[in-house]
Amino acid sequence: MSKKTYITEDPFKDDRAQCPIKVGDFQNGEKIPMLLKLKDVRQAAKDWQTFSSDAPRRVPIPSEEELRDVRQYPIELNPPEHTKFRKLVEPFFLRPKLPEVQAKIDGLLGCMLRRMVAKGTFDAVYDLAIPVQSYALTYLLNVPEEEGERWISWGVHVTRAGDGKAKGSQMEDYNRMMFQQAKEQPGEDFYSALNQAEIDGRPLTDEEKEGFAYLAFAGGRDTIIHTMTGIIAYFAKNPDAMTFLREHPEAINTAAEEFFRLAIPLTHIGRVCPVKTNVQGHEVEAGGRISLTWAAANRDPEIFPNPDEVDLERKPNPHVSFGFGHHNCLGAHHARAIMRSFLAQFPRLVSNVQVVEAEPCMEVEKDYTRQIGFNKLVVACEPLGKTSDNGVG
Amino acid sequence: MPKVTFITSTGSRTTLENVEGNLMEIARDHDIEGIDGDCGGVCSCSTCHVYIAQSWQDKLPPTEELEADTLSFNDNQQENSRLSCQIEVTEALDGLEVIVPESD
Repeated sequence: MSKKTYITEDPFKDDRAQCPIKVGDFQNGEKIPMLLKLKDVRQAAKDWQTFSSDAPRRVPIPSEEELRDVRQYPIELNPPEHTKFRKLVEPFFLRPKLPEVQAKIDGLLGCMLRRMVAKGTFDAVYDLAIPVQSYALTYLLNVPEEEGERWISWGVHVTRAGDGKAKGSQMEDYNRMMFQQAKEQPGEDFYSALNQAEIDGRPLTDEEKEGFAYLAFAGGRDTIIHTMTGIIAYFAKNPDAMTFLREHPEAINTAAEEFFRLAIPLTHIGRVCPVKTNVQGHEVEAGGRISLTWAAANRDPEIFPNPDEVDLERKPNPHVSFGFGHHNCLGAHHARAIMRSFLAQFPRLVSNVQVVEAEPCMEVEKDYTRQIGFNKLVVACEPLGKTSDNGVG
Repeated sequence: MPKVTFITSTGSRTTLENVEGNLMEIARDHDIEGIDGDCGGVCSCSTCHVYIAQSWQDKLPPTEELEADTLSFNDNQQENSRLSCQIEVTEALDGLEVIVPESD
């Protein structure tokens, strides 16, 4: 099939062609060298001694020091502590690989998509992606599906409103309540497991437990939502991509990886230099930060031929949308299970999708502006089989 | 048709006959412990890392730069490390033994 340019542009294209590092100007005047090339990003992600994650609330860029009190576990830790903490929750994040959980995800997507197709016109953000993300997370955390209904009302980003300001403590209050409930009535769920977990022979503190729960909600929320709506917007412009996937289901996995590469909502993540460090000619003071700019690395032309083009069969595709090294994304199995299911089912139900109204979600910094997804994406879908008799699903 | 044997880190041996496809897919389809192939074979995740005895090296497809790069960050990398998703099984690999490392 012909290859088309992805819907969002790469704001780092010119910078990366000139220099492997761009010094970005962020909130409160913080200057952060941003690594733009894939090999540099991978190298730095692996080198936790030089580029540390032992930095509560300072791993995200911009910093979340004014946004939250809790430290996120295990992402804001270095090995060997990180390894011990990560092991405690790993069994939950591996659940999407279980056939019964995969079947639930397939069932959820099938049900939601059929409902949307029957509706005809819907907002892919609020009517589809947010409910799918919310209900699917209940399978991962092994809590009743009804809990997802409450999470739907939290919107695209559970912690930040559109202006980047703190949204309030609804999610933290909810998690505290869930830990308390799990104490009174323990089960096989995420909250009960953390209540019972031990580290170095002691139980977890409330702060540690809440830090795990915070990441479980914040980490996989807008990422999954924006990736899914990004794919729908791409299908609207390129209906032949849906035809291709319908006719070549064996390409679902490579297609999913290609959309993860291009639709990555998380521009970057930070690391702290514990001592004064020279990063390719840029001096970073002790306590200063660098950015692992995933979104720029994913379009590095030295690694990805025609990096702005969607190649649904791209291979190799060593993108870093799930990070790299010790901190690679705990939710990657979950994201892959959802997106593969979506790519398998959507083209079998829909013949054509049109954008009715789109409000892009923009990340605006002093030195770059990047579209990370949509705040609103109203689309009209034509069911497959409406005009022909190709049969549905 | 070729047969291959997978030897896991716990020592269990599984011999599969008449196989086709790449080693990662074959292992994944037969639930070989320690080969996950999370990314589906696009050289992104490194969860299909294996060791292959030196005696087979000249029959294997060469290690491309991206595969070598991905492997170079692997804590358990050895000289005979490969990503099994990059090795298509051919008649020339009949009798191949694949060693699965401890999880990285």
